[in-house]
Amino acid sequence: MMHTTRKPRWLTMVSSVAALALLVSACAGDDTTDSADTTPEATEEDGEETEDPDTEGDETAEGGDVVRLGILGQCEGPFGGFHEDTVAGVTLAMINEAGATSNSPDTALDGWSGAEVAGTSIELTGIACGDDTPDTILGEVRRLVEQEGANVVIGPLSGDEGIAVAEYAAENPELTFLSGIAGSQEPTLEVQAPNYFRFHGDGAQWNAGLGDILFNEEGWETAAVIADDYSFGHTSTAGFVADFCGVGGQVTSRVFPPLGTTDYSSFIAQLPDPDEVDGYFWAVGGTGTQAALEAFVNAKGDLNGEQHAGNLFFNPGLASALGPDIAGSYVGGFASLPGDVQTPEIQDYLASADAAWDTLAGGVTGNEPADPSAAASFGFMYGYYSAGIALIEGLRAVDGQIADQAPLQDALANLTLDLPYGEVSLDENRSGIIDTFVQQLVLDGDEVVAETVAIIPDVTQAFGGTFSEDTPPPSRDFPTCEERDLPWEGNAIPVVDGVPQQ
Amino acid sequence: MTRLTPLRLRSPGTVVLVVVLVLLFLLPTVSSTFFVDFVMARTMMLGLAAATIVFLSAYGGMISLAQLLFFGIAGFMYGNAVLESGARGLTLGWPGWVSIVFALVVTTVVALLLGALASRTTGIYYLMLTLVYGVIGFYVFAQVVPISGPGGVTSIPRPEVLADPVRLYYAGLVLSVIAYVGFRALSVTPFGRSLQGVRDDPVRMASLGFNVPLHRMLAFTLAGFVAGLAGLLNVWWNGQIDPASIGIGPTLTLLIIAVIGGMSRFEGAWVGAFVYLVANNYMRDLPLVDQLGITEARFNTIIGLLVLLIMVLSPEGLVGIFEKARAWWQRATLTPTTEAASTATTSTGVGRSGPPATADDPAADTAARSDTVAHDSPREGTDR
Repeated sequence: MMHTTRKPRWLTMVSSVAALALLVSACAGDDTTDSADTTPEATEEDGEETEDPDTEGDETAEGGDVVRLGILGQCEGPFGGFHEDTVAGVTLAMINEAGATSNSPDTALDGWSGAEVAGTSIELTGIACGDDTPDTILGEVRRLVEQEGANVVIGPLSGDEGIAVAEYAAENPELTFLSGIAGSQEPTLEVQAPNYFRFHGDGAQWNAGLGDILFNEEGWETAAVIADDYSFGHTSTAGFVADFCGVGGQVTSRVFPPLGTTDYSSFIAQLPDPDEVDGYFWAVGGTGTQAALEAFVNAKGDLNGEQHAGNLFFNPGLASALGPDIAGSYVGGFASLPGDVQTPEIQDYLASADAAWDTLAGGVTGNEPADPSAAASFGFMYGYYSAGIALIEGLRAVDGQIADQAPLQDALANLTLDLPYGEVSLDENRSGIIDTFVQQLVLDGDEVVAETVAIIPDVTQAFGGTFSEDTPPPSRDFPTCEERDLPWEGNAIPVVDGVPQQ
Repeated sequence: MTRLTPLRLRSPGTVVLVVVLVLLFLLPTVSSTFFVDFVMARTMMLGLAAATIVFLSAYGGMISLAQLLFFGIAGFMYGNAVLESGARGLTLGWPGWVSIVFALVVTTVVALLLGALASRTTGIYYLMLTLVYGVIGFYVFAQVVPISGPGGVTSIPRPEVLADPVRLYYAGLVLSVIAYVGFRALSVTPFGRSLQGVRDDPVRMASLGFNVPLHRMLAFTLAGFVAGLAGLLNVWWNGQIDPASIGIGPTLTLLIIAVIGGMSRFEGAWVGAFVYLVANNYMRDLPLVDQLGITEARFNTIIGLLVLLIMVLSPEGLVGIFEKARAWWQRATLTPTTEAASTATTSTGVGRSGPPATADDPAADTAARSDTVAHDSPREGTDR
């Protein structure tokens, strides 16, 4: 049967308008690129112009000597819930130290206005939308730099992304990159891009001292490990294995589910039963933490908190889904500290976040609007805040000169930041030397909260000689489980009721 | 839809293609490097890969979800072969050209083997089997650490001759032209004709003595080889490849690109890739879209809506819309005498002989009858 099908003309009109608008946007993007060219040649030209003091003021006014800052966030993937946190961290740094104001009372994604350091404006050029994959973040950082004209980049958030961005940084030495909170080991220890700076630790550093406490104080002699099968999961595991085995423990099983797994039952089945091992170390992050623990409960029975330890993703919020049985678990450190430790600097920092916005829908609160200090107290926002502060301090050190970024990079490499949660300086590979805070989930009445139990001072990425540029990157089977001397063995500083005992 | 025919040098369609080709060659002289490198070079490589989906679908009646796997295999193999040092991959340190040949040989052999396995399935089973290939490929590269592991292979160098982004774009353009012309030319070869016969009636072709599985296997192998070429371009452009690059998401993205452009014409593959990349790069720059809640985080939603819109407007994709627009224009400009002749012809329902003025143009022939027979057959207008 023949029939005639005619499409509504309005549909054709709508699609035509949409296509035209996209093409117009494409042309506009090209114009932007032309006016904000960041090719090495263009940067050199900027540098030549800036050397003329008579024209310097004009250049600033015209945007020639301006920090065009790109932020690498993550709006999709396992850590997509922390997108707001990443931008909020940088924005808060601009508000606190560069005189900026937030463009919105309830979201950081609208950016800021009026940031200036030593006469140099800091403009938000763009926010990248990563999804935890290197391909996507590489495309996004190239878009920010090559299309939007960013000359300084803060980010990324996650491990594999960090490696890709560090390699991109190595290919573009005229630009400056500050890691957001990407905790894989390779960006600094392997790639060693001279213009990539990490003012935080890596996944291994954040687990320093955990194995020592579990072996010597909790009596664990054997442990099984389950971790995300990517660079951050491997790095986190590497820290635990090096520490736990270093003091005499044995890791009997290592299981690595792919990042983004939703059904963990087959991986849980590979773990030994609770009566076959003294404890489990979990480095399953993002949206997977709760799902993996629930699969464990289904397969191996109720949780016994004293038999579990985890990396930074083992947080009190898990108790809302898993119940108070999770209390007793030990947790590795992160960039920030649990709420039991309060100093004037921490209180000022958290208060400044509450003053900057009415509410923020951060990842810690499940993207529900909440007090901004809730997001600010967690490591994702704090890591980006630290990077923002580093940029501001670096600019101050070079009197705002950004046209040639070599002096800025030299200044950043030698910075020691006095941050709310403690000092951070950089090692020879421009990775953070940090204090790690071992925590424990405890019951406070009916509520599960995190409590700081020990401080491991001055942990470096080399991890007491365990890792170097000549050792393989952390992997499923590296490092091997063997005894080794670690500088902090037996030297952890106890913390009681939020007060370090030394 | 007589799109899958060899190019006719004097047809209006060929003239348009030549003009587009000239414009594409001149593009780097008038456009920004970013646009050439980020949009157009990727359009060429993704379009090339999507064209293999169109080839298998249009010539062989096989919708394959494994093309991104071959795209990835070539990239992984090249990275393993060419890298001299580093913590990832085999680091064989072979010369660039040897690595290219190695990557393409491995890709083609894998395509041959997988094609042989899939050659006796059709329809939904073929779709599912090739999806399984893609998933297996993802896990193989994610689990076999010596050749990739979850972190993939990084710091893959680009051949020096292609170091300039514009040269890489030209390489993609040349390969795309070769693939386009080659696929079109294939339609009149004995293999191409028998493959189309296998598509239309495999039982009859088998009874006539044609080896149906062999035809499907060879077509799959050829498509795998071409997808491998696109994969090489991609790994040169990106400098790294990891299992997530060939995961289920990107696999579906490649199919979406083919669908957006249109599965009935090879041009659709590149048109679809271009639209996808323009939307991906510039959608967030549209005025006022952020106030509508359309941010970069909503890109997949927008692409989904775009696909829906195109499907509503034209199941043959954007190229189908162009065809309809051209048919409308031709109808509007027909003389009353010709229009009467055209009406008389289409009213017979045969539609094989279009208006005399367009008898040499198969696309116009299709366009003239597209509004009347468009939904009578799933392969309306296809050369039989």
